[in-house]
Parts: sequence; C-alpha cells; structure tokens
Amino acid sequence: MPHNIVLRLTSYAALVVAALLFVAPLLFMFAGSLKPDDQVLLEAGSWRAFLPDTIAWQNYLDVFARVRFGRYLMNSLFITSMIVAAGLIVNSLAGYAFARLQWTGRDILFAGVLTIMIVPLEAIAVPLFYQVTLFGWRDTYIVQILPFLANAFSIYLFYTFFIGLPRELEEAARIDGASVLRTFVSVIVPNSKPVFATVAILTFLMQWGAFLWPLMVTSGEAVRPLPLAVSTFHSLPPLQWGDIFAFGVMMVSPVLIVFLLFQRWFVRGVVATGIKG
Amino acid sequence: MCNATRLPALPGIALLTWLLAACGQDTAAPTADVTVLQVWAHAGQATERETLQQQVERFNRQQADVQVQLTFIPERSYNAQVQAAAIAGDLPDVLEFDGPFLYNYVWQGHLIPLETLLATDLQLDLLQSIRAQGTWHNHFYGIGSFDSGLGMFARRSLLMQAGMKDLPLHPKDAWSVVQFNALLNTLTTRDPDGAILDLKFNYPDEWFTYAFSPLIQSAGGDLINREDYQSAREILNSPAAVFAMQNLQNWINKGWVDLNVDDAAFTTGRVALSWAGHWEYQRYQEAWGDDLVLLPLPDFGKGSRTGQGSWVWGITRYCEQPRTAADFLEYLLQPGQVLAMANANGAVPATATAIKQSALYREGGPLHLFVVQLNEGYAVPRPQTPAYPVISNAFRRAFADIRSRDDVRAALDRAVQVIDQDIRDNRGYPFTAIQD
Amino acid sequence: MLADHQRLTGLLLAAPALLGLLVFVAIPFLLALTLAFTNLRLGSPLPVEFVGFDQFRRIFSDPAFLRALVNNTVFALLVVPLQTALALALALLLQQRLKGRVLFRTLFFMPVVFPLSLIAVIWILIYAPGPNGMMNHFLTTISFGAWLPRDFLHDPYLALPAIMLTSIWQGTGFQMLILLAGLQTIPDELYEAARIDGAGRMATFLHVTLPQLRNTLIFVVLVTTILAFRLFDQVQIMTHGGPRNATTTVMFEAVQAAFGRQQVAIGAAMSVVLFVVVLVITLLQQHVARHEREIS
Repeated sequence: MPHNIVLRLTSYAALVVAALLFVAPLLFMFAGSLKPDDQVLLEAGSWRAFLPDTIAWQNYLDVFARVRFGRYLMNSLFITSMIVAAGLIVNSLAGYAFARLQWTGRDILFAGVLTIMIVPLEAIAVPLFYQVTLFGWRDTYIVQILPFLANAFSIYLFYTFFIGLPRELEEAARIDGASVLRTFVSVIVPNSKPVFATVAILTFLMQWGAFLWPLMVTSGEAVRPLPLAVSTFHSLPPLQWGDIFAFGVMMVSPVLIVFLLFQRWFVRGVVATGIKG
Repeated sequence: MCNATRLPALPGIALLTWLLAACGQDTAAPTADVTVLQVWAHAGQATERETLQQQVERFNRQQADVQVQLTFIPERSYNAQVQAAAIAGDLPDVLEFDGPFLYNYVWQGHLIPLETLLATDLQLDLLQSIRAQGTWHNHFYGIGSFDSGLGMFARRSLLMQAGMKDLPLHPKDAWSVVQFNALLNTLTTRDPDGAILDLKFNYPDEWFTYAFSPLIQSAGGDLINREDYQSAREILNSPAAVFAMQNLQNWINKGWVDLNVDDAAFTTGRVALSWAGHWEYQRYQEAWGDDLVLLPLPDFGKGSRTGQGSWVWGITRYCEQPRTAADFLEYLLQPGQVLAMANANGAVPATATAIKQSALYREGGPLHLFVVQLNEGYAVPRPQTPAYPVISNAFRRAFADIRSRDDVRAALDRAVQVIDQDIRDNRGYPFTAIQD
Repeated sequence: MLADHQRLTGLLLAAPALLGLLVFVAIPFLLALTLAFTNLRLGSPLPVEFVGFDQFRRIFSDPAFLRALVNNTVFALLVVPLQTALALALALLLQQRLKGRVLFRTLFFMPVVFPLSLIAVIWILIYAPGPNGMMNHFLTTISFGAWLPRDFLHDPYLALPAIMLTSIWQGTGFQMLILLAGLQTIPDELYEAARIDGAGRMATFLHVTLPQLRNTLIFVVLVTTILAFRLFDQVQIMTHGGPRNATTTVMFEAVQAAFGRQQVAIGAAMSVVLFVVVLVITLLQQHVARHEREIS
C-alpha cells in the first residue's frame, strides 16, 4: 500500500536524522582524537570535524605520556567490577529474601528499603565523606566500593523479578531437601539471567562514570578512576584537545564493548523486570 | 571533632572495615632503622614531576638512613584533599601547597615554623616575595624553590607597527591605563577579528584571583583590608576596584579579548598581547623567537602591580623528625636543584644565588623583569589570612559574573558579603585559637 | 519447623544488604540532618556549636542558593517533558518492525554509555564561541546566516539551555529503551481490537498505547525528575555555576560550600533541602499514580 510506503520512508528519514544528531558528538570526538591538537577546534565548524584528513596516532601516545592511563583504567575496572559482582550477590539475596521468604520484620524493612531508594548519593555525600574519613578509608579502593554494594534500587529490581517467578520452581527443589540458599543458587539464579544482566549493566554504567564521590575521597593516582583523569587532564595547561579526545575514546571503548556484547540480554532484562514500571 | 559527628559504635563493622581498609593501602613497607618521610607534591607538568622524582631519588641515594616517599596529588581541588587528609589524620610529614593557603593551614594547626630549622644563609638568600609570603605572625612557615612571574608577553613587531617605539621594560615605566587602552584601540583596528588580547580565560579556578587582583591593587583597591583582615567592605567594592574591573569588562565588551578556548591565541598569532605567567615563555619563545618581549602589567593609578606566589613546602605538625624534613627541604633549595626545577617548569628560581646562574633570569636575561617585580615590591602576596580560600572563591565567582557582563559593582558587593560573613562566622579568625 | 528455619534464613540473606544500606545511607543521612544544625567547618580549630535553624535561614536568604532551586526546577520542567516526548517518539519509530532497528537502537543508546564527565568535556568544545564553534556553525547554516555566533556557556540566557541540551542528548537513549520495553508488553490483541473498531493511528495511540504505557511513563518521568534535581557533573565541568548563577544547582552550591569554602554545615543543610525536595516529588508522584489507578 502506498500509504504504508510513505510512512516507512518518513520513519526512516526521522530515524536517520535522529541517529545523525545522536552520533555526531561521538564522531566528533573520535575524529578529533586522530587530529593534531590545533586542528580540532579549527575544523569544528566544517564537515572536516567528523573526518580526519590524516590519521595521526600521536594523541594516543601523548595520553600514555601524560597520565598513567593503564593505572586509571585498572582502577576503574577493579572498582566497577567489584561493585557489580559483589553487588549482584548481596542485592539478589536480599531481593529473594523479600520476595519469597517469610520472616519477622520483612514488610517493615522492605518499606525502609523503598524509602532509602529515593535518597540521592549527593544528599548524603558530605556526611558520608566525614564518616569514611573517620573510618580512615580516605584514598583507598574500599571507600569507592563498599558504600555502593548494597543498592536499594537493585534490590527492588530483583524483588519485582523474583516475585513473578512460578512457585513450582522452588517446590521441586525443596522436596529434594535442598536448603534455601542452595535452592536459590541452583534453581532461581539460572532462571533469572535477564534481571542479573540488567542490574549488572545498570550498575556498571552508574559506577563507571562516578565522578563526585571519587573526587571527594581520593587524592592519589594510585586509586583514582578514569573520570577524574579526564578532569585532571582538562585542567592541566596547555589544553590539548586531541589528547583529551584520544583519552575519551580509550576510556569509553571498554564500556562500549561490554554493552555491545550484552545489549541483547540487557534489553530483555528491561522488559522482564520492574524497570518499565 | 565535635561530638555530633561521632558514630554509634559498630564494633563488628569497624573490625571488618579495618581489615578491608588495610588491604586497600599501599604496602611498601620500609625497613626498620630508616626514617621514612612522607612527602606530598602537586602533580604539575610532566617535566616538573620528573624533575622532582629525580631529586627525590638522588636525595634517597645520598642518605642511607632517610627514605623520602613521594606522592603526587592532582592540582584540581588540592585544598579539599588536604582538608580531607587532615580530618583523617593522615597528612604527610612534608606538604607542598599553594602559597596563599599557608595561613589557613597554620591557623588550623597543621604547619610548624621553619626559621629555626633552616640555615639562616638560605633564608637570607631567598627572593623577597617568598619570604613575605611565607611569614605570618612573625614565623616562617613555607619555603618554595621557585616563585611565579606574571606579566604581559607581546610581539615587538606588532607594537612597533602600532607606533610603540619605546617599550616599558621596567615596572616603574609601565603604561598607564589610558596609554594601554589607547594601544588596544590601535591594535584592534589592524586585526582581522579585532581580538588582540589574551587573558587566559581558558584557565581554571585560581588563575583569576592570581592574575586579576593585581589590577585592583594597582588601582588602589584590594581583596581585603590588610590592616586587620576583618572586612573587604569598601576595599574590594571600593570605587578603585570597581574602576579597574569596569575597565577590564570594557575590553571584553568591545571584543578585544580572545576567549582562547584552544589555548593557542598567542602562538598562532591571533593576538598581539598575552597576559600570562612564566610557564608560557618556552612555548611563546618557540613560536616567535626574538620578536617575543615581556612587559609589565599596566599601571591603573598606583603603580604596576603583579601576582606572585606558587607552590611552597611546609613541614607538618605530624612530622616526627622535623630536622630530617628540613634537610630534605635544604637539599631542594641547593642552587643546582633550584636551577634544575626552574629549568623544568620555567619558574623564577627562589634564591639569589640560583638566579645569578640562570641564563633566563639573571640581569639582562629575557625574563629578568619577573625577578625585579618579585624583589622590588611590585608583586603583591595574596591576602595573608586564613580566610583566603573563601576570599579567592568569592572573587572568582564575582570575576566570572563580570566576565559575563554583569554589573561590576553588584558582583563585587556580593563577594564582599560572602567574605565578611565568613570572617564573622569564624569570629575574625583569632590567631589565639591555634595556641592550645 | 520449616517456617522457623525460614524466619532466620530470610533475615540472614537480607542482612548484608540491609547492613550496607544502614551504614552508608541511613546513618549518613541522619548525620546530615544533625550537621545541618551545627556550625561545623572543615578543619577549623574553633569549637563546634549547635546553631538551631540558622544555616537553613541563611541558605534561604542566599540568592545563589535560591537561584539554584529555581534552576533545578526550570531544568526539570523543561527537560523532563522534552526528553520523555523525544524518547517516546524514538521508541514508537523503533517499534515498527523496520530493518536496521537494532542498529538504530544501539546508536540512540550509545551516549548513555559515556560517562557524564567525558560528555561534558566534548560539549564544551561543541559550544565553543566564535563562528568556528560547531554549534554556532550549525545554527548559522540552518538559519541561512541569521544566527550570530554566541559564547553559549558564558551567556546568561543560553548557558542553562546548553546544559539542558547536553543532558537530553545523553539521557534520551535510556528512557527510550525503557519505553520500548513497555511498548513490547502491550498485547497485540488490543491493537487488533482497535483496528476492528476502525480506530485511526492517532486514536489507537491515545486510547491503547498511552493508557497501557502509563506506569512506564510515570516511572520514567519520576526518575528523570529526580535526576534533574541532582544535576551536578555537567555544571561542575562546563560552567561552574555561572554566568551570574545562571546554571548553578543545589548540588553545586552544596559542594561549593562544603569543599570550596569549607562550610560543611551549610553543605549539609543544602543536602537536607535536596532530600526533602526529592521526597516530596516522590510522594506526589505516588499520590498521582494511585489516584489515577483508582479512576481507571
């Protein structure tokens, strides 16, 4: 039907225009990372902004010369993966306990978790900062990991997913005499991959970009994550835009790869969990 | 620490977290009979970091029983990080810090006096500006191996074309504000985009206080009343200060100032003048060679004034071997080491002895003007009060507003209010508070 | 017997998470509440005193803080509807089973993957002043020269919109994905029924899609609103709250107070205000959601 074809064409046109707008800044960064520093801004106003005429890897070498990129990357990877891994365990167990087990105080505590969900980190950043410095945790990995393991939002996501699972799953295992923990590990977890993927990716995205907290609690290069390196880089004259962009590309590549690999799981997880409301 | 911030006792968590925290710390354990000095320094340019690293290594090789452990801290939010470390009780033995924060740190009780620890000869050899900045309530707390120079880099040829035959090479001959405005007006007509002045608007934070409060002082105002450091009223918002800032705002409004997002305004020839510090000399020299000339900042009425102050070393109260720490500082202040650092970062060497050996800074050298400014009183230390962090924060905010064409008087009024409020909150920052 | 066993197990399983939330969220929040009533300053040798509501009185007479509240509100009022509408439009486009939709979906989502601190730095350059700046050039081109180059991030009228645009660009992909998931759960029978009833596209959208998406939309709007009140990273990196407080936010003011001026108590008071604002929004939203549920 011609009506349908027109609709299709307009849809495509809209999608293409939107995609161009969404991708342009990223292309700008990628192209800029391959240009000599003084050309980045000079060419920002032409189509050349998105297309380097010569490919120069110098900026990438500069990054390694100017900051210990490897160190920052390792820090970010370590901190983020610890939070994701340990957070999945801690929060899924809590979500399971709230969704499927009967115990005293459960309902009151769950209400407490829901309230805590709305406390932004920023609102407690200052006292939390005081607290962790009193603990003597300033400038460690632990101060960047431990406060973020337990996460009310993750617990809530697990809760909504687990509560929708059929009861029969556990009953079969329980007849075999398996313990609660064992049932959880061998029956519930294998059936809950989408929610684990969703929570993992969400946590990863949130923590990979963490900026305010590490800025407050770390000082040495030894434990600082990547986002702080960007800002250090940005404030160190002379400003070299090519280097900054090269840094950005290097910083975002690992996340991009992780996302592209797992995005199918992620989308399925979003459909399956309570995120959609 | 006040009682309100004490946490409920959580012994189990405390134990757990202690274990975890222990895992997170560096475990480069020194051997028992060696004195370890923890040293914090700012992470400056790469060459600067490497030089300090090498100096520390050489010092460690020379001293069998002393081991200096160096940690670089990023410049951004350096003060916040020092404050955080202070709360946690893990300030190092030797702390590098930005000069004007000295008074705040002394007031908080972190630093000890150096005058009895350091050799007298060395103290007399220092630039006058470093002695002035490091001294507070008759004690000397901070020693730097270099100081900073602020001036105006220019291209001689462009000034010649604009009819400027005799360039002012000494601060006493600096252009008056009228002459300077006229010069800008001439230069702008010969420039394709009309922007002929670089004020380093691309720099962050502290630059604005450092670079532009001298303008206010040259006009007769200041950041605070230096008689008792109790108020900025009718000083920072005095007619003189307003005049100076209005004049600067006028340069911006007329489109004479290059916004310099790429930090290449001067090197690519877009502007004739660059209001900048010693650290730009190398780059500018490479770009323009003999055409480059260094000039004093314009005189806004009470003589040319300029900024001073850079990173200095102090010994903290937590240092158990102050004498050993002083040895380390004396080592860094040896002429050879001072020159090595000055060569690395291009700054003004801190001692007269080192200056005589510096091709750039000795009499007749291309940057000798910076030495004259620092030694002959043209350089003004930033306010010597614990309130400085607040003063600078407030002024920077006002400056940002002025730059965005806000009413000058209103912007300065707001800064005055913030500063005076803070001083009241701290009961005037009584020096007696640190005696106990 | 089994019930007793479960009773303990449930608490044990939840204990690590609950302990974490207690130590790192609940206690700091109570601490914030306490600090806000003192005059605590970072590192000051002067004694700490309780000052009652003084800090609150002070921040509510501080023009910068009041401006921050206004900015956060304006940001929320503009960004939330615009971003949600854009995300919904993209989700609807993608919901048609067109070829290449996975590619488009990935492209739209990509900015979400970028840390805000990096995005802010890229956009500083996009907003570069002068005719060479990308945004300036773009606007000049599409307006056939009518647009005169501006310094976006230092322009009192353009700075906040500039930050809004950056935020929308970054956040839309995430919303789109959630809405797309919501769209996929709408049963086909409903569309079928609408078609049999002879409903047009617009009618189907208004009477099938929107009502079915209601919960998803409420969720998306709530999260975006809360994020709008937490705005910090972009401001810290792109504008430092300026020009003339045009982009300052509650969080930026709190961090400035606590770390820039060492006034921890004032920072804590501002944090408490932020919490109250977020709490009120959440309660309001839940009230609205419940109310609507009762009607429908």
